[in-house]
Amino acid sequence: MRALAIARASTRRIIRDRTSLFFLLVLPIIVIIIVGATVRGFSTFRVGVESSNSGPAGQQIVSALDHARGIDVITYTNKKSLTTALARGEISAGVLLPLNLGTSESSSRPITVTIYAEQVNSTQQAAATAVTSVILRQGALVQSANFAAAHSSSPYAQTLAKATSLQHSVPQVGLKTVRADSSASTLPQGYSYIAPTELVLFVFLSALAGGATIIETRRLGMYERMLAGPVHARTIIAGEALTYFLLALVQSVLIVTVGSVVFAVSWGNPLAAALLVITWALVGAGAGLLSGTFFRTPEQASAIGPTAGIALAMLGGCMWPLSIVSATMREIGHITPQAWAVDAWTSLLSRHGSLVTILPQLGVLAAFAAVLLSVSSLRLYRRLS
Amino acid sequence: MPAALLIAGKDLRQRLRDRSAIVLGLIAPLLIAALMSFAFKGTETFHYSLGVVNDDHGVVATQLVKSLDSKASRTVLTLVPLSSESVARTSVHDGHVAAALVIPVGFSASLSAVHPESLAIVTSVNHQIEGNVTRSIVGSFTAQINADRLSVETALASGVPLSSLNALTAKAATLRIPLQSVERPIGADQLSAISYYSPAMAIFFLLFTISFASRSFFVDRAEGMIERMRAAPLRPAEILVGKALSVFVYGTLSLATVGVITSVAFGANWGSPLSACLLGLALVISVVCLTALVIGVARTQRQAEGLASLLVFGLALLGGNFIMISSSPPLMRTLALFTPNGEAMRGFTDLATIGGGLAAVVRPIEAILLISVVTGGAAIALARRAVT
Repeated sequence: MRALAIARASTRRIIRDRTSLFFLLVLPIIVIIIVGATVRGFSTFRVGVESSNSGPAGQQIVSALDHARGIDVITYTNKKSLTTALARGEISAGVLLPLNLGTSESSSRPITVTIYAEQVNSTQQAAATAVTSVILRQGALVQSANFAAAHSSSPYAQTLAKATSLQHSVPQVGLKTVRADSSASTLPQGYSYIAPTELVLFVFLSALAGGATIIETRRLGMYERMLAGPVHARTIIAGEALTYFLLALVQSVLIVTVGSVVFAVSWGNPLAAALLVITWALVGAGAGLLSGTFFRTPEQASAIGPTAGIALAMLGGCMWPLSIVSATMREIGHITPQAWAVDAWTSLLSRHGSLVTILPQLGVLAAFAAVLLSVSSLRLYRRLS
Repeated sequence: MPAALLIAGKDLRQRLRDRSAIVLGLIAPLLIAALMSFAFKGTETFHYSLGVVNDDHGVVATQLVKSLDSKASRTVLTLVPLSSESVARTSVHDGHVAAALVIPVGFSASLSAVHPESLAIVTSVNHQIEGNVTRSIVGSFTAQINADRLSVETALASGVPLSSLNALTAKAATLRIPLQSVERPIGADQLSAISYYSPAMAIFFLLFTISFASRSFFVDRAEGMIERMRAAPLRPAEILVGKALSVFVYGTLSLATVGVITSVAFGANWGSPLSACLLGLALVISVVCLTALVIGVARTQRQAEGLASLLVFGLALLGGNFIMISSSPPLMRTLALFTPNGEAMRGFTDLATIGGGLAAVVRPIEAILLISVVTGGAAIALARRAVT
């Protein structure tokens, strides 16, 4: 009961601080909104097109690009703004259509469309090949219309309409896709990627930065005053651990709720997800207590805590999937609890994982929590007694 | 020595003695830049292994394999011959190849038939881009075959008698799609993760100076330091200039050190040194002005800490210090340009990609200085209240 009273008092103290509240509850949501909106765009290529004065045939190509799956067309009025946008990474490829792109005359002289893309840039290469496919499809129509017009009495406009109508009915060399696997090794894109990784990042980071409160409590001599009463050091430690656990839990529940309700994130198997959230909150509580006993001043906890939190999050795959880094970096990443938490979320969100499938990760996280809580409790106990 | 310099010197000494200032100003940005550098090493060039199962061995199939093994294709992919579709599936599943192409038996011969055989691309959910690139490359090869088939059918549908089919087919085989594409580089350097995130992290941690400096001001005031200074023959302006100078020197040292170390050790491209220095100085000036504004607006240390934290994270989120702002929607990109750090990131991005020297940073510097004038002006208006 006394531990509960201490936890209640500590929680109230933290919640009364509007800045802490902002970092605990508001900032994670803002980050999810902003970063989620950014990462969402990766499923389609943004392709810039400079088509001014390219004539009706040019507009047909623009329209074909616009209707192509996976391509978002952004128009530019001159070549410079197109190439600048590409250099800055605002678009994945740039298409420069020639002036007064012909139609009926095009059979006599092939027309070249310039695609700006760097050979060494994977995204730009992928976008360029997607654009090439569309251009060739469009070119096939022009070739067919020209060919038919040359061998029949029908005018070009008519043969073009015929070719367009026949395009999908004439049997062609198809490309069928055969999926070799169905389970992804990374989280789904968009908010389903951002929400779980930000949960892992912020619970740990907030706990590390929150260690400043314990240091401040120590500084103010509040622990001594508590110990002067009939309160054992163990009770104080339990109360503080409970505070950090509850705050981590509240933060997690908020992110999960906002993720589900606002961003339609499906968190997978509810029981497994709940246990993962609880285990991660325990890891956070351990990290918060450790920060409170490890750093000497609140400034150190506020400065070094977030830095360490961000660095561990990067290593653990919260900022980018560990599948894109080298095998060595992946192994190093798994020294952090973050990597195990992200692996567990990946299993739940991408591979329909259950409690059984994430048991190994839960076990490792529980071990992390046990070590962190034991070491920090011991350190705090030594300071108090 | 002018009083402002003495105050700045004392503040700097005090700050450098505090380990958290060294961590935020130097160690943190370098650590994070180093992590980014190691994480993305070798992952920024696109190349993959493509498995090929040629069960046909006909003329067209051989041409297709040859085109995939051409000099141009080899810059993107390496061909790995595989014995069967099931081997291809296993290889893709196990990650030995990122994707595989299966050319079925009788593919070449079927091209003259009404219903040609389809090609199969074996893909993995973990290598979607490789699957898409394979699809586009193979699609470009089959485009001519499909265009020729469509040409014949369109001619027949336009009134050419069926008896001319063989002649039409022969003529169509000599055609070339009149619309071709040519790929060109734009001559800009690729924006690597390390070249983006080195300035991004250096600036993010530079923004923390706002928190540190404003907090230290209120601590000084609480300890009666400001009152003691006021008791000396010092004008409020001298006290503020001294404080501002220490922020300026600390910010400049932090930014410059991170810039030099990330360039030399991790190969980050900050652009031409003169342009990068001028852009960095403009940014540090804006940080000084923002610090002064926080000091002017806040009434207590707690208010200053809260305000500074909101400002630091608000600016970092909007300005693109956490995310590559160029990937974000247009509205976000526009909002970024209302922040000094967003303008600086635009400048550093242009320097690292387009180059262009001083011309590339004139506009960002103007914008940052304009923001500084506005925030600095407001701070001066509030300055008297803060020091009296």
